[in-house]
Amino acid sequence: MRVVIPDEFKIRFRYPARALGLLGAVLMIVSIFLPWAYGHDALDDMTFWGAPSPLQLFFVVLPVLLGLLLAIPLVGKQRLGALARMVAWNTTAKTAALASLVVVVIATASIAIELGGLVNVDPGAWVALLGGLVAAGSTPFLPDSPEPTLDRLKSPAWVQILGIVAVMAAALFLAAQALSYNDAGSFITFAALLVGLVLVLRQFGVFDWLRVAGRSNNRVLVLSAFVVAFLFPFTQDGKDANMSIAAQVLIFASAALGLNIVVGLAGLLDLGYIAFLGAGAFTAAVLSESAYSHVNWHPPFIVTVIIAGTVSSVLGLIIGAPTLRVSGDYLAIVTLGFGEIFRLTMINLDGNDGPYVTNGSNGISNIPDLNFFGFDFGKAHTILGVDIGRFANYYWLMLLVIGLVILVFTNLNHSRIGRGWVAIREDELAAEAMGVNTFALKLLAFAGGAFLAGVAGAVKAHHDVSVTPDQYVFLESAFLLAAVVLGGMGTVMGVLIGATILKLLPEKLRFFSDYRLLLFGLLLVVMMRFRPEGMIAEERRQLEFHAEDEELAEEVQEELALYHDHLHPERGSFEL
Amino acid sequence: MELFFQQLINGLSLGALYALIAVGYTVVYGIVQLINFAHGEIFMIGAFGAFATWTIMGRPTGSPVATSLLFILPVMLIGGVVASVAVAVAMERFAYRPLRNAPRLAPLISAIGVSVFLQELVRLFFGRIPGMPDAKSDLAFPSISGISGASVQMGGVLIRASAIFTIGALVLCTVFLWIFVDRTKTGRAMVATSQDADTARLMGINVDRVIVSAFAVGAVLAAVAGVAQGLTVGNIGFRMGFLAGLKAFTAAVLGGIGNIYGAVVGGLVLGVAEALASNYLGTTAWKDVWAFILLILVLVFRPQGLLGAKVVDRA
Amino acid sequence: MSTEAVPAVADTAVLLDARNVTMQFGGLRAVNDVSLQVRTGEIVGLIGPNGAGKTTFFNCLTGLYQPTTGSVFFDAAPLPAKPRLAVRAGMARTFQNIRLFHNMTAIENVMVGMYCRTKTNAIDAVFRLPRHRREEVESTRRAKELLDFVGLSGSGDTLSRNLPYGDQRRLEIARALATDPKLLLLDEPTAGMNPQETRQAEDLIFRIRDLGLAVLVIEHDMRFIFNLCDRVACLVRGEVLVEGPGAVVQNDPRVIEAYIGSPATQDGSGDA
Repeated sequence: MRVVIPDEFKIRFRYPARALGLLGAVLMIVSIFLPWAYGHDALDDMTFWGAPSPLQLFFVVLPVLLGLLLAIPLVGKQRLGALARMVAWNTTAKTAALASLVVVVIATASIAIELGGLVNVDPGAWVALLGGLVAAGSTPFLPDSPEPTLDRLKSPAWVQILGIVAVMAAALFLAAQALSYNDAGSFITFAALLVGLVLVLRQFGVFDWLRVAGRSNNRVLVLSAFVVAFLFPFTQDGKDANMSIAAQVLIFASAALGLNIVVGLAGLLDLGYIAFLGAGAFTAAVLSESAYSHVNWHPPFIVTVIIAGTVSSVLGLIIGAPTLRVSGDYLAIVTLGFGEIFRLTMINLDGNDGPYVTNGSNGISNIPDLNFFGFDFGKAHTILGVDIGRFANYYWLMLLVIGLVILVFTNLNHSRIGRGWVAIREDELAAEAMGVNTFALKLLAFAGGAFLAGVAGAVKAHHDVSVTPDQYVFLESAFLLAAVVLGGMGTVMGVLIGATILKLLPEKLRFFSDYRLLLFGLLLVVMMRFRPEGMIAEERRQLEFHAEDEELAEEVQEELALYHDHLHPERGSFEL
Repeated sequence: MELFFQQLINGLSLGALYALIAVGYTVVYGIVQLINFAHGEIFMIGAFGAFATWTIMGRPTGSPVATSLLFILPVMLIGGVVASVAVAVAMERFAYRPLRNAPRLAPLISAIGVSVFLQELVRLFFGRIPGMPDAKSDLAFPSISGISGASVQMGGVLIRASAIFTIGALVLCTVFLWIFVDRTKTGRAMVATSQDADTARLMGINVDRVIVSAFAVGAVLAAVAGVAQGLTVGNIGFRMGFLAGLKAFTAAVLGGIGNIYGAVVGGLVLGVAEALASNYLGTTAWKDVWAFILLILVLVFRPQGLLGAKVVDRA
Repeated sequence: MSTEAVPAVADTAVLLDARNVTMQFGGLRAVNDVSLQVRTGEIVGLIGPNGAGKTTFFNCLTGLYQPTTGSVFFDAAPLPAKPRLAVRAGMARTFQNIRLFHNMTAIENVMVGMYCRTKTNAIDAVFRLPRHRREEVESTRRAKELLDFVGLSGSGDTLSRNLPYGDQRRLEIARALATDPKLLLLDEPTAGMNPQETRQAEDLIFRIRDLGLAVLVIEHDMRFIFNLCDRVACLVRGEVLVEGPGAVVQNDPRVIEAYIGSPATQDGSGDA
């Protein structure tokens, strides 16, 4: 697959390659002032001369970066000082060129598809395409630069904090922007642009620097992330469509993080995990004032949440009990069996085949909205002149829940219990022989993860208005697992990203939703093959999947030594 | 008593089906210690392969019994087998082989992915093959004169021809399997590899090929089971592999995983138990719940199987 | 050559008391009617040719196997049936083939050993309650102390898989010591070591004994074991052949025979 260009070519052609790369960047920058499309309906109307559309303006960021990356080194190493060595100028430029080309191709294809043919693609797009091809074709001939070491850059605390806040603010703005695109073409183009930008920044070393900054200013990072997440509804201007997706993403992510305790931390595969979300949802539904529930006790929601979590964790204990005797693949199948038993039981508790509890396969519908001390979740409220709709209310509630989930996840991980889990993953027999109560730890993973999923399920019941057994089939468990695997087993950030991608894409790309299961099945296979540790890798997990990689072992050791708990035993460890 | 025999026959027929699928789990497990979670889908693919072959043949219906049994059914079986084997071999090549030295979690997750992928592939794309009906809901399986709907009365016991077909297929397959394992070079290589893959490799056995043939053998039997299921139930669907696969897996564990003849015994025991239980334990609504409870009980309390085969360290 | 003075341990308390332990696997009797006592402050060696049942006997002592017949008393109480509980009771072990947690750092390995002596529960950990902080600080301090003790001061942050072989053995001992044991069982602690490392291991074991622990060592290296041990038992074909002070066992003709074959049977088959 990978075309290797001999180093001697890279030396010989380095000047023409840089010049052509710059030409390509300039062509792409110029192109946004030309019309890209013949008709108004493609993307966000790219038919104007001299007046770029927002999407074109966003796009131009990539070629501008490309131009800067190629031009700045011309200033000379002396003048750049330490920065010259810390940044991988050429390699980043290659990434930027490729990313630009991909975005232009996607945009051009979208225009062609949405307007019905390549004739509708106007000169601007062709110029951009030419520029992209020139840049992407020439930059590979630049010599490779060494790995970026921007993380070694010593920066004062205020710079770090400013950096974190800036990135968070940018994330908020870009997320809101991405969600505002409702046609598939614009969304994909913008998403590709974002992915390209992230890859360029990563290659530049920005994320390494951020990781260092985040680790030394963990509170700022966490706080700003939550502030940004809290502010998100204000960007939506009362529109509920995106807030509904956002709330669903949070529910899904909470459950996935709970599953991550079991899979990522304790190393046990649970294929019936959706049952815990279901148990919480059914508990909340049965205790709600829905007419389909025949239970006449309606406790306040905070009590319901605790009961839902408890019911789920009891179920977790039951499902975890076989871990005393079985492990590995057999355990996975046992959990799958429990998950199916849960679903079938919910169907059968319909008053015919069993006692009436769940209204059978029709489920419990008309679950009323939550009401906290007169704050009706079902109604829109106006805060600071911005309309905050029903789903935004649930979104905020879920933000609290996911905060709890992250707290539990990271603090358990960074404790005696977390060490016990790692030991179990590494060598269960040795752990037991060293006095670790492996069974209790495994049960704790199941029960703890289940509790969190149960709490999320309780909110989900009210958010969804109805709860039916068919929402809790095996495929949903596999879907949760896919989020964990895609994002990165054992990480919080990874799973948040994985859950967002898996939940958001089918919502935004309607044509794709029918294929979502097909693609995530494929995704599981491909991830296991090429990147089993997920998009964001947990260091130790990565090492487990690449046992022979000595170089990686050195890196991981360095990483663990820098940030390891025992250096800061007194530290709180709520982390993202 | 008649009822008992009736249920016994039903159970044996059901059990023969499980046994045919279970062999696939056990053969693969014996050699690579992998639970091929997607094996249920191979069974489903077999049924669809047979269905597609029948459609390509021009949907012959109402033909004389002899033509049906001697021509149409065998060709359908071949079609099913080809489809199953092709998919199983591809699956081994692309989803499992690259993960052979990975931690155990990896192939299992990959297997789940394959399982979901194959189900969706059939659901979304079977209907796009020219001439094939849409498979988003269940399809009526072709009726084969002489088998579909036919039955024999013995005393008070009704034996359906499809049951005879299934049990007969199991007997034949077991005999062929025995010949294959015992008398052929590949079969003996399989036994050697299952006992010690490294030594087998040193002895010049091509372990890759042995593994592929294990997948293929399992797929052949699963395809036969797929046709048997179609003939017995009368319809097929993209979801049919999930439950059948799990039950067959239970049967394989029950028989001692890795033990081919154990899988046959396990399948029959499970089938009879299920038939009798559904007769004596009442409502059908809880039938699958009982099946899953049995699955869990077997895995938890009898992971070494009924016959007490070699104890497998699942750690 | 065993001129090591035998400390006066004859009157200290019996810590480990294995009585007539037999372990049967199907038709194979791996350990047959073995009795062995270890007293506080004593170093006892267990020798024997390959396949003599030493490790099996070890596993019976640490709760990994349940003896078919016979009983094991530890600290005057019957030994709990689970390895984890045996550790709690004060018995710690190392493994013949090193079983460290390879992707954990040295200090983390030691801290896992402290698991059974710490009490932080999920609630403490999630809400960072005082007990969590206190125990983390204390465990960290103690772990560093133990790493110093075994001579791994500078390697706390090294992944155990990246440690040299000899250091891995020492780390295993530190991890076992972290469980705060009364008796330490070492399964071939010098296997694969060079003479210098072996001398260091010897020194380490003496220092452990000086802490007031009892040590039971399985070893092949005769010189090592007779230097080290107050008492040696020789296990052959699952049975105790001789037991007594090093010098006695060393010169016992039966032991010599078990290892190199008797003159009468020296027709090629007896050589090991």
